[in-house]
Amino acid sequence: MVNGKRVDGRGVEDVRPMKIVARVLNDAEGSAYIEWGKNKILAGVYGPRECIPRHDQSLYRAVVKCRYNMAPFSGAEEHGRSGPNRRSKELSKVIKEAFENVIISENFPKTEISIFVEVLQSDGGTRCAAVTAAAVALADAGIPMKDLIGAVAVCKIDGQMAVDPGKEEDNFGESDMPIAFSPRTGEVLLFQMDGNLSREELSRGLELAKNASAKIREVQMEAIKKVYDEPKEDRFLLIG
Amino acid sequence: MDKSRIVMPGEMVAERPERIGYAFVDKGKTYSTVVGLYSEGKLVPLEGPYEPLPDDMIVGIVSEVRFSGYSVDTNSAYAAFLSSREIRERYEMGDTIFARIIKTDETRSIELSDAKKLPEGRLVRVSAVKIPRIIGKKNSMVDMIRANTGCEIVAGRNGYVWIIGTGDSNLAEKAIRMIEAQAHTHGLTDRVAAYLKSQKKA
Amino acid sequence: MESMNEIKRDTLGALISQGKRGDGRGMFDYRTINVQPGILQNPDGSALVSIGKSQVMAGIKFDVAKPFPDRPKEGVLSTSADLLPLASHLFETGPPSDEAIELARVVDRGIRSANIIDLSSFYIDEEKVLAVYIDLFILDHDGNLIDTAALAAMSALLSARMPKVEEGKIIRGEFTGKVPIKEKVVTCTFGKLGDKAFLDPSLDEEKGMDCRLTLATTPSNLVAAQKGGWGAVSEKEIMELFDISLEKGKQLRALLSD
Repeated sequence: MVNGKRVDGRGVEDVRPMKIVARVLNDAEGSAYIEWGKNKILAGVYGPRECIPRHDQSLYRAVVKCRYNMAPFSGAEEHGRSGPNRRSKELSKVIKEAFENVIISENFPKTEISIFVEVLQSDGGTRCAAVTAAAVALADAGIPMKDLIGAVAVCKIDGQMAVDPGKEEDNFGESDMPIAFSPRTGEVLLFQMDGNLSREELSRGLELAKNASAKIREVQMEAIKKVYDEPKEDRFLLIG
Repeated sequence: MDKSRIVMPGEMVAERPERIGYAFVDKGKTYSTVVGLYSEGKLVPLEGPYEPLPDDMIVGIVSEVRFSGYSVDTNSAYAAFLSSREIRERYEMGDTIFARIIKTDETRSIELSDAKKLPEGRLVRVSAVKIPRIIGKKNSMVDMIRANTGCEIVAGRNGYVWIIGTGDSNLAEKAIRMIEAQAHTHGLTDRVAAYLKSQKKA
Repeated sequence: MESMNEIKRDTLGALISQGKRGDGRGMFDYRTINVQPGILQNPDGSALVSIGKSQVMAGIKFDVAKPFPDRPKEGVLSTSADLLPLASHLFETGPPSDEAIELARVVDRGIRSANIIDLSSFYIDEEKVLAVYIDLFILDHDGNLIDTAALAAMSALLSARMPKVEEGKIIRGEFTGKVPIKEKVVTCTFGKLGDKAFLDPSLDEEKGMDCRLTLATTPSNLVAAQKGGWGAVSEKEIMELFDISLEKGKQLRALLSD
């Protein structure tokens, strides 16, 4: 950090450039594509549909499922392996749990609502981008929710708290704290942290994240509005 | 329609409690649960799954012939059953029927009756919330499509639309897709009429 | 559900026997094709292709690897496909299905048989060669995933750059020029119902047809073929479809920038 500016020239409150497009897939009930920094992530939603296997079913509500997956070509380094690993399974779980809080699942007993997130290109903060895109995909599918949630991470660089670490800041920062807020209530629905923070730093981090989520929500709402302001019959993904 | 505005999930629509569909009340204020159009105490979802209600007329496809009746695919997450006692005709797997929902229970299983088999045709699957627009006021839209394509349109509230007839079914489908995409806009009827006219084969 | 497919077969058959298709296309017309090459920065090559509503993303990545024992001086080419659950209500999560494996192997075969990449130029030293990984990410399924994926793979290869190798290691982010590709290989997949064949089956057509035939070609030759599904093809049909593939190949190659 030099002169209060970060490696890429941002201030501590600045989020990387973000773009969201909703309704980009044809088969999925709802979908959204997000570019955040160099992250390029696709989210798709199916449901409510029959819950399979049967023994997963609940008589009282829809079961929410989530799969977070990274493409083997998504990283900047070596070729990865296809399929779930321990990290992606953990992320699938915390993302699912965030959405379980807001999806009004009692309306659809015995069904499942499935969220699929595919990371096509990763650049630090993929789980926050995943939550942000998945929320738009769920809204696109018309799944009733108590709120449109988004997520952003906070880090500590050179002793200062800063929002939305890029990949280098992620690697060399002193702490990483991804947070998902429900903007309507201010409740925290996803919260993880590693590193070492004082009470003050924690409080400052939460504040930074809260402010950033208001801006993120604007981008989400714009993406959703665009579907209706500029209606299209054909859907496809346009990148770059 | 002019006073309505697009609202998002979690967005406040009223500062006091209103008991309306697709909204919930929290601490005395009303919030939307979906992307929808809100105006004067009414919220219309712009998108969403089909939520079956008694008296809905639906288009379904017989998916299984059972001992006492038929399992019917209704484009929803819920099983629909048509008892043989409710009808006089006999059906086979793959038959398309137009039927009424007489009952749904807490687990959302659907019971059908008043069924009628539909003639040869093809299926277009649309978002259930757009069906009223596709039918039009007093069937005005489906009548307009029929007049310009020679195809009879049977639109089920469940989002299954059956196109019957030897007319220009491709054009009929395109018109239906156009209405689906623009269901929330003004002046749609005129635009669809103009489109059908321009594409109609002499 | 097998019997539901029988019903689709009858409805499809009624149309096809009259030389008509559900969406008004000609028997040997492709749906609208869209090619977006080089759209990702992290892989060494990439492309996003759509045919009709089917969409496939291909990514190319180089790594240093051990050569195969029977080909010690050659680089490694490996193709894999993921039928992502978000692409279709028909796809489940889990290990690659037979369909995914077949797709990957068919796309691979065309590229490998035509020798479009000189794998001997990937040799580094006694224990190391360059491995090139082609990953096919199926994002949206509306039929004919093979042609969509093969076109995406070919476009991604054409956009790919050779990584800089120093002391047996890849220096990420630095390149020595484009990957030399000798030919553009394209595939044409036909559906068959009764004695009628049709190009680029949509998902609806796939549900009702008897079998499919994929032909991978260079401008003059056949380099790979795959018949899938039950049902039979005649010699005469194979020759006719080969000729149509060469013709259609021109349309496909025109979409691939150099």
